[in-house]
Amino acid sequence: MIKLKSQKSMLNNKKERIPTPEVDFNSAKEMSRYLQEPEAMYVGAPGKHGYLRMGFQLDKTGKSILRDLERRAPLIVQQELYFDEEMPEMPCVYILSSGGPNVDGDRYRQDITVKKDAFAWVSTGAATKLAEMRYNYSGLVQNIVLEENAYLEFMPEPVIPCRNTRFISDTRLEVHETATVFYSEIYMGGRKYYKDGELFQYDILSVCSHGERPDGKQLFREKFVIDPNVVNPRNLGIMGQFDVFANVIVMTPQDKAAEIYEKTPAFIDKKRKLAAGITRLPNNAGLLYKVLGMEPGPVKKMVRSFCSEVRQVVKGKKVPEEFPWR
Amino acid sequence: MTRVMRLLQFTDSQFPVGTFSFSNGLETASFEKIVTDAKSLEAFAKSQSHQGAFSDGVAAIHAYRAYKNGDYDKCKEIDKYLYAFKMNDEARQMATRMGKKMAELGVRLYGNDFIKGWLEEIISGETPGMYPVAQGIMFAIAGVSEKDLFCSHQYGVINMVLGAALRCVKVSHYDTQLILEKLSDDIEGLYDEASQMELSDMNAFYPELDILASLHEKGNMRMFMN
Repeated sequence: MIKLKSQKSMLNNKKERIPTPEVDFNSAKEMSRYLQEPEAMYVGAPGKHGYLRMGFQLDKTGKSILRDLERRAPLIVQQELYFDEEMPEMPCVYILSSGGPNVDGDRYRQDITVKKDAFAWVSTGAATKLAEMRYNYSGLVQNIVLEENAYLEFMPEPVIPCRNTRFISDTRLEVHETATVFYSEIYMGGRKYYKDGELFQYDILSVCSHGERPDGKQLFREKFVIDPNVVNPRNLGIMGQFDVFANVIVMTPQDKAAEIYEKTPAFIDKKRKLAAGITRLPNNAGLLYKVLGMEPGPVKKMVRSFCSEVRQVVKGKKVPEEFPWR
Repeated sequence: MTRVMRLLQFTDSQFPVGTFSFSNGLETASFEKIVTDAKSLEAFAKSQSHQGAFSDGVAAIHAYRAYKNGDYDKCKEIDKYLYAFKMNDEARQMATRMGKKMAELGVRLYGNDFIKGWLEEIISGETPGMYPVAQGIMFAIAGVSEKDLFCSHQYGVINMVLGAALRCVKVSHYDTQLILEKLSDDIEGLYDEASQMELSDMNAFYPELDILASLHEKGNMRMFMN
């Protein structure tokens, strides 16, 4: 309770000084077709322009805590919990959205900082649904900053794009060369079992993640644009027969990356309809891991067990079994 | 006439940059029985062609324009940008190996200060020396058009896959020529789009190809270097 109070008073003190975070995708050509003002709530309206800022750091006793928290509807984070049985010292946070799905014209920004030597686990409370859109798009900007020797596992639930949805994201990972970030994303092809099935019926997904060092040196930039109206995601080489795709970026020191790389198999399992691959990121930034599957369950399991490898190499501890209700 | 000769020269598989050593993941795709015949080979080559168009192709076009503007630093910026965009380790190795060979040939063939400086900076590690950037520079030096550069880049990508296919997939020379003929129809449209793109627009979504590349990277198959 004391912590909540102190967070509250901190928010009040800082409120005046926090500028409105910009979520600007004006330069993204792929979204230029989707710039109409929604007939319902306008772009940037209260409740449609979410902001979240979380800062993790060690307190005086060396405990990793959520020290800094600022949020604006529809994004909600309450407080950190310590429920990881293998790593009970780790603050765990669920990001929730009071709005339910991302709707037409929504803009979100999430800034997460993990200070020197601190560590944290961040996920979402449920899958992120991207609702059907008619006029505009939904955009997300993320800044994830890790200081010296910091550690973050960012493992949200899958993203489910509905028919005609448009979504763009830009994630900047600024990571010190001694720190480790595990950053995962899972994309479903759509609402697979809705009506007759709704796979790859969205308008566009544009996802960009780029890594850099604190001095601004750019390490890698991955951008994928999936526009099923232009190129069929079923094509060989893209999703092929698979329905679910996971992308995991691990930025970690070179020796740790080498160890994780050796321990992680690449395979295509036709029986289980599951495939995974790993490669080294440019400029010794770390690793890139990809999984393809048919259902979210097995793909999530792969991502989680890969996270466990990373945690074992970096922290010497496993990731516990997933809760049965997740 | 001379320009067409240059275009043919730089595009020919005899041009010693080492295209024949690579399969762009086809070796693994064949082993995993994902590419088994002409139809699946065509789909595979098509994905490779489109993937190349909106990444390497865009970078090559930008390097070509930078050379024309005498902007050496811009070429370095493009080179670093493309290197950071190339996610697969073996693909990066292929691109830097071929890029260095291309720069060496450029020094032999033209020897101007630009290309000499470029090779020196590749050797000293100042710039990664990606193949598409070297292609852009060389085509600009030789006075071949931007469109022809893009064509040559696309031909290189497709032909690398088809050449390798003759050695690791059950297809005939007729099949591969038919595929090349078909895929050539896409090139004009790809150029129209790629030539309008900024570096920040470069994109690629080919997770199945990425996983195949990873399998090759981790595996023991070594008829091809990737």
